[in-house]
Amino acid sequence: MDAGKAPTLTYDTLRFGEFEDFPETSEPVWVLGKQSNALTEKDEILSDITSRLWFTYRKNFQAIGGTGPMSDTGWGCMLRCGQMILAEALLRRHLGREWRWVRGQQPKEEYMSILNAFIDRKDSYYSIHQIAQMGVGEGKSIGQWYGPNTVAQVLKKLAVFDTWSRLAVHVAMDNTVIIEEIKRLCMPWLDFERGGCADPLEMNGYMEGACAMALEDTAVWKPLVLLIPLRLGLSDINEAYIETLKQCFMMPQSLGVIGGKPNSAHYFIGFVGEELIYLDPHTTQPAVEPFENGEIQDDSYHCQHPPCRMHICELDPSIAVGHREHGAYPRVHWAQGGQGIGHDPGQGASPSQGTITYTLSHPSIYYGHFRRANLPTMHVFVVPKYPEETPAARGEHANSAHTGP
Amino acid sequence: MAPFEKAQHPKPFKQRKSFAATRKHEVAGIRTKFPTKVPVIIERYQREKYLPLLDKTKFLVPQELTMTQFVTIIRNRMTLMPSQAFYLLINNAGIASMSLTMAQVYKDHKDEDGFLYMTYASQEMFGHWERVHQLSR
Repeated sequence: MDAGKAPTLTYDTLRFGEFEDFPETSEPVWVLGKQSNALTEKDEILSDITSRLWFTYRKNFQAIGGTGPMSDTGWGCMLRCGQMILAEALLRRHLGREWRWVRGQQPKEEYMSILNAFIDRKDSYYSIHQIAQMGVGEGKSIGQWYGPNTVAQVLKKLAVFDTWSRLAVHVAMDNTVIIEEIKRLCMPWLDFERGGCADPLEMNGYMEGACAMALEDTAVWKPLVLLIPLRLGLSDINEAYIETLKQCFMMPQSLGVIGGKPNSAHYFIGFVGEELIYLDPHTTQPAVEPFENGEIQDDSYHCQHPPCRMHICELDPSIAVGHREHGAYPRVHWAQGGQGIGHDPGQGASPSQGTITYTLSHPSIYYGHFRRANLPTMHVFVVPKYPEETPAARGEHANSAHTGP
Repeated sequence: MAPFEKAQHPKPFKQRKSFAATRKHEVAGIRTKFPTKVPVIIERYQREKYLPLLDKTKFLVPQELTMTQFVTIIRNRMTLMPSQAFYLLINNAGIASMSLTMAQVYKDHKDEDGFLYMTYASQEMFGHWERVHQLSR
């Protein structure tokens, strides 16, 4: 736990020249729901990846809890990955998918507010201090290692205090996405006891009413961040899940995946061929103090070397998948399906072969296996192809709707 | 939620009853007596550090129970918090659809000996000393 004992490598000593360049391949590159060509769009891909917020180990920050660790080297990697996936949700919420970071350029106000929420100080919404201390409630003392579920649970609790972004963070337990729980979270004004969703048609009518209400007062609908902790095997990932996992990165709603190689947590943002593309928190950088005017020297919060890659089979089976739903157009459709939904690639196959229980299909998400009362019913949650608020994201949506898996 | 000692791991069921014929015989007996129940063996993952051991290994489960209900029962038995990670992997391979009934899971995944084998595990934890600088692949 004592970071002082660790042989530390600083940011400056890293020889970025040793990072392998991005592969020249005609295989499609998928990063957070966006497809690109490595041969013709390499610069755009790298600029896109550099634009993600990169959180790494830091040293010399305020002691956690006043007397605790001043560095998270050796224990904070999953906490940092949690920060990265949430930061991605905030970037997408406030700046859109097409926003790009340009080194040295005067940043937007929203961007600074997002970055501020993650600065290593005790009072930032999602600082290492807040995450480590909130983890105590999940049975993790400060400095203990986290799993993907641990950090997801903590982020869910911390998001409640973030009145600026008003995210509804939901963690789906038991590989089951319960639609009613999400509705309660995002649309607290709905009366769920009345009628329930026994009848899908009734449910559709019900939702129309909800839409009308929400359009009058869009502030009520909260943007959803859905985190789904999974275990896709015991010691190794079951290869039957690999194609489905890839599809997670192909959806426009993708926030990536937090997980890692055994012991080392990574934030996975996409894939090319059989390799996952990830941001790695395992570099210790000095903590950054904001200037008096509130501005932050932000170079070290963006990964400026070619992104790391690893073979998908090296992935530790314990992960959490992230999705976001834009809240302003709550035109979700509800329908009931049996177990034979045609779009579900895993249905009909054996349950342990290829289905990540909740199943994902492009461009719609089918969250199967809805849990309500005692009925083994399955409700289908279809994400509409409605555009997002930002014009840039709208274009992306339109494109991706036609690129089936 | 204190980590459990590793020494607690008993031998897997198949090793304790190493003769397939004995297990087959046992299942045949159970199935005759309880034709609507599914014989399930539930064991803790050998490297599991956080979830407690179940007091029993063999379960007779009503075949109409869904996986969701079954998992809820096991979770309650272990008095887990709702936010604690718990996964039930079938044949050490994958997680089952939670809307399937035990009868369906049994039909597709029962072992040659007639038992349905499940392993439970939470999630791995991650932490690491700094990367000794290495080439990414």
